[in-house]
Amino acid sequence: MKSALEGELVRLRAREAEDEPFAHRWANDAEVIRWLGARYPAARALSAERIRDAAPRRELCVFSIDDIATQHTIGWLGLHGEAVEHRSASLGIALGEKAYWNGGYGTDAMRGACRFGFAMMNLNRILDVYPENEGAIRCYEKAGFVLEARMRDGMFKHGSYHDLIQMSLLTGELK
Amino acid sequence: MDSPFEGRLVRLRAREPEDEPLLFQWFNDHEVTQHLTIRYPLSHAQEKEFIEGSSRMGYNNPSFGVETIAESRLIGGVGFEQVSPENRSAILGIAIGDKTFWNGGYGTDTMRTLCRFGFEMMNLHRIELEVYAENERAVHVYKKVGFHLEGTRRQACFKFGRYQDVHVMGLLEGELRWD
Repeated sequence: MKSALEGELVRLRAREAEDEPFAHRWANDAEVIRWLGARYPAARALSAERIRDAAPRRELCVFSIDDIATQHTIGWLGLHGEAVEHRSASLGIALGEKAYWNGGYGTDAMRGACRFGFAMMNLNRILDVYPENEGAIRCYEKAGFVLEARMRDGMFKHGSYHDLIQMSLLTGELK
Repeated sequence: MDSPFEGRLVRLRAREPEDEPLLFQWFNDHEVTQHLTIRYPLSHAQEKEFIEGSSRMGYNNPSFGVETIAESRLIGGVGFEQVSPENRSAILGIAIGDKTFWNGGYGTDTMRTLCRFGFEMMNLHRIELEVYAENERAVHVYKKVGFHLEGTRRQACFKFGRYQDVHVMGLLEGELRWD
């Protein structure tokens, strides 16, 4: 049986100390963090702390994303903030290697995390909240996510307010 | 100039240690908590801790007791959480714990008074709240005050043996309505 973490293009695995240099570079790449929550520059100590605290577990289940073809590490994603009684968790993803953008790698990684969340963590609902951008909405819709709410002016970044989009996926909806 | 803490029926004030018995009573009352996120019984120690924590008011912790202007009687609590200075946004939470003051306009007045405080005294741009989709009475009040229904989180909350949908509602600067 294939692991839930093994996709068509990417494989998810625990983050290791060796990932720190990439993670640190991505965390300070303006294009990568453009639509993420990150706002202030990330110090090396912060990146190191994030990696140290990265053992996948129920409360904070973060993975590195490896390209199966080249074995390159291209980003990270995770399920976090689980509300145990609600069996609901948030998904966060950052594809740090820009050469891999728009190639289906993000969607494949996301599907892997959702398979793992439903099959191994017994989640009922997986959600993400992010500032509106066409690429992300399409990517989530491809995986089966449904747009549920538009929080008007929910985020201020890059000199203006942006709507926040909330999308979610329930058990059985993964495409 | 009118006090920023006073609406037409209620006044917002800091919480005090002597509020504890009422809070304990309200937040262990099923009729009150069924519409809130509270799910486990609350101890006196937890209520005391909550009051101590919320007695130091400030931008990051605007948490008020609600009392009637007429009798200075404590009837509930209201406040903001997750106040974000960069986004100028906050999440609103409210509970009118004294059931004899339900359906008298006290909740509506509390909402308006806190939102006005958020916009005029804290310089917020956006106030957000979540409410169980089936709590139609509350949704009606929030709409009356000017909140927009921005979406519905499917099966977002499990309580009383089933999943419930949760509405997300938002109010921006300039949208607060008093009539």
